[in-house]
Amino acid sequence: MSSTLAIAGTEAQTGARGAISLSGITRIFAGTIPAVDHIDLEIKAGEFFTLLGPSGCGKTTLLRMIAGFETPDEGRILISGREMQSVPAHERPVNTVFQSYALFPHLDVEQNIGFGLRMRGVKSAERKQRVDAIMEMMQIGAFAKRKAAQLSGGQRQRVALARALVNEPEVVLLDEPLSALDAKLRAELQIELLRMQKRLGMTFIFVTHDQHEALVMSDRMAVMSKGRIQQIGPVLDVYERPRNVFVAEFLGLSNIWQITPISDHEAETPLGRLTISEMLPAARMAMIRPEKIWLYSEDAAPYGRPNQFFGIIREAIYMGAATQYRVEVGENKFVLAYDTNNQAAERSWRPGEKIVVELKPENIMLIEP
Amino acid sequence: MSGAVTEVALEQARQRRRLWMTSGPGLFWIVLFLLIPSLVLLGIAFMSADDYGAPILPLSLQPFQQVAGFSLLGWDAGNISILLRSLQQAGIATLVSAVLSYPLVFFILSRPEPIRPLLLLFIVLPSWTNQVVRTYAWLELLGPNAPLTWVAHHLHLVAPDLGIAPGSFAVTTGLAYNYLPYMIVPLYASAEKLDWTLVEAGRDLYASGAKLFFHTVFPQTLPGLLSGVIFVAIPAFGDYVVPQLLGGDKALMIGSLIANQFTETPDWPYGAALTLIMLVVTGLGLVAFRVLSRRLGGAEEASI
Amino acid sequence: MIPRNVRRALAGFSWPIYVLLYTPLALVAWYSFAPAPHTQGLSVYAYGVMLHDHSVFAALRRSLILAIGSAIISTVLGVLLGYGLSRFRTPGAKGVLANMPSLIIYTPIIMPSLVFGISELIFFNFVHRFTGLLGAGLGTMMIAHITFQVPYVTLTVFARLAGLDQNLFDAAHDLYANGLKSFWHLIVPVVQPAIIGGFLLGITLSIDDFTISFFTAGPGSVTLPIYIYGAIARKGVTPEINAIGTLMIGAVILLAVLHFIITRHRARGAELAAKGTI
Repeated sequence: MSSTLAIAGTEAQTGARGAISLSGITRIFAGTIPAVDHIDLEIKAGEFFTLLGPSGCGKTTLLRMIAGFETPDEGRILISGREMQSVPAHERPVNTVFQSYALFPHLDVEQNIGFGLRMRGVKSAERKQRVDAIMEMMQIGAFAKRKAAQLSGGQRQRVALARALVNEPEVVLLDEPLSALDAKLRAELQIELLRMQKRLGMTFIFVTHDQHEALVMSDRMAVMSKGRIQQIGPVLDVYERPRNVFVAEFLGLSNIWQITPISDHEAETPLGRLTISEMLPAARMAMIRPEKIWLYSEDAAPYGRPNQFFGIIREAIYMGAATQYRVEVGENKFVLAYDTNNQAAERSWRPGEKIVVELKPENIMLIEP
Repeated sequence: MSGAVTEVALEQARQRRRLWMTSGPGLFWIVLFLLIPSLVLLGIAFMSADDYGAPILPLSLQPFQQVAGFSLLGWDAGNISILLRSLQQAGIATLVSAVLSYPLVFFILSRPEPIRPLLLLFIVLPSWTNQVVRTYAWLELLGPNAPLTWVAHHLHLVAPDLGIAPGSFAVTTGLAYNYLPYMIVPLYASAEKLDWTLVEAGRDLYASGAKLFFHTVFPQTLPGLLSGVIFVAIPAFGDYVVPQLLGGDKALMIGSLIANQFTETPDWPYGAALTLIMLVVTGLGLVAFRVLSRRLGGAEEASI
Repeated sequence: MIPRNVRRALAGFSWPIYVLLYTPLALVAWYSFAPAPHTQGLSVYAYGVMLHDHSVFAALRRSLILAIGSAIISTVLGVLLGYGLSRFRTPGAKGVLANMPSLIIYTPIIMPSLVFGISELIFFNFVHRFTGLLGAGLGTMMIAHITFQVPYVTLTVFARLAGLDQNLFDAAHDLYANGLKSFWHLIVPVVQPAIIGGFLLGITLSIDDFTISFFTAGPGSVTLPIYIYGAIARKGVTPEINAIGTLMIGAVILLAVLHFIITRHRARGAELAAKGTI
């Protein structure tokens, strides 16, 4: 979805096939602390949208309410512009891919995939044709007659996805579908999932606790914590400009300080006085990503730029493509820096070496506590 | 908002309706044909008996006086000794089956995995044949002129013209035979999950033989043993068939005494009072056992 | 894990126990081939006597009707009950009220069968006296047998359902199956082994029982165990009784072996298929 379309008006947006609109959604389980707390959310048609958060943040509960497995205590759910409150799960135009895959143990792959069509009364000839087509697309035709127990993890995952997609739902809900797979298979299936979504053009809502996965896959994402949405937006925005401490820390590594503004472009910080491009009188916290910190040998630091500090490398963790440094820039004051090991990189440093770190003013972001 | 609230209420009502539609018939059946009849039985224990032994008003505590041994002829210790004998028989049968079960269970576990279910099945199988058949079968071994009786004669353990059955020893044997699988199955279930590294650690720390067993194996299998004890002791205490067929008059147990009040010489209130006392003793035993097993640290699985 | 010498000792102890477990049953079979009157050597005379005894056949027929009939009804009740208890909770119920169903289910298992049998005797007697219904006979025996079987079937089904991935139920709803459809297309096929197991267990329990049958039977509803018990009380163990006993033991062994082979076969098949494909 381009931004020009977004201006066309929210009415058209929320009414589009596959668009989802949540308002004031609340779910309180037996206790008193809401699992989901007054959530408003607009998901555009055809979007790959990710709900990211630690376990227990309410993301799965939110997904289950969209699917119809849970009933919200308060609030409205609209799918393609239609009210969903009184529509049971089996009548909603959505299909779910479960974390445990939930393949029916008594049915083979073909029957599992055809289950939804069968329940909707699709004739067996058409059913077979559609099931065959999706099996070919997902490259699982070879296992058509096997039971779920006879499949590997990756195969099960594909069957679970095929079982949802074959119904051509308006929205596909994915609840941590890749979390049980090993790293390599996971990376493969991430790409495959993305390709499939772009090809079919359905809205995908993807739940994960893995920030890397969220960054790789989503068009937009919402970071959740304690039943509330902490930040929502395109992936790049959320990563580069986290709104608060939680988002900054949950999405990757960061250096975070409390600050006291003293002028339009300056603030007092535990590191010393820093120049910051965007400054607000009310700002309380600031952060910078480790990969945005520049490191120089003592004699190579560019002259006359702000925010440079002498430091000593205290820790260097080699990670292949990059090295992560812990630099002491004053007594018990540390910054975390991240340097790629490409050919242009000046060199790598060893613990004990003296260097200069530079925090460019435009890379320092103000955040909320 | 109110729309959503009624939605939640509707969902709850739906859940409740489904629960009743599925569980209702079965629960209703058990309540009607088990709970209500048992309450009736308990109620009769507090009534008087007419000339035919049927319960009539007024309410009375006379049945309990009969249980305690008081009658027109004065006090008699018969009932007390029957109760004690029943406890003793159940206790010995439980002990015997526990002692037999440990070697059997570990024998099965020492065999290759594929044949273990078969070995277990062969232990359980006799208990699937009818109670009467598998009990009277022991008469073929223990009755007068039976092989084991003949051996006992030669060892001068039994008078020449009598059998081992009927008698107390035959009852104990019959009870242990009947309920052995009830001990083996839970014990096997807990022994199967045994953490053998603990046994190895014990061996590594110089324990061996009985010490090794009581410090490493026994504590781990305790939950299974405790459930086994409950599964054997309760039905053995109230058993009817075994003392009837193998016991004779001198080995009368409480089950037969109760049954007599409803068959041969009817006195329903007296029989009901005996039943109540039997249930109370069983209940007290269970409670005492729960306390004991909790102290031993095996409470969770013992609670069924 | 178990040292060799200990294993040998265990085997030396256990095999004789196995032999002892089957000795009484084997003797029943042995004595059933007692010689015919005025002859010597083994014979099937007792079986001949049995075959000409109409009351034995009537008792056998009643035993079969009782076992199969009660197992069918208790399977239906137990499957519904096990399904309901595993899937639905009473919202808002707490403490004793929430545990009520499981208390009700465990009572018949814990209650000594003598107490149960006598309660039924009295209850049926009262009902009959005041309404004329439920006169002692095969019907009352059937009711009693169903009552003690239902909990076992329930627990078998409950265990199977509780062991399943709970998302399966959501998945069925997600794939357009309403309550009834998901019961037929998911629950029934998935718990099918438990249903068959529960049914066979019901039959086994019914065949095994004497005490409860004895107290709920009427004059016209003598089943095989009651017949045997009565015959022993009257004239002791005869070759004819041994013949009936042998057939009953044989039937149970045959059923058990059959069940074992079927389940083994199915498990083996799944195992092989799994090995061949991954």
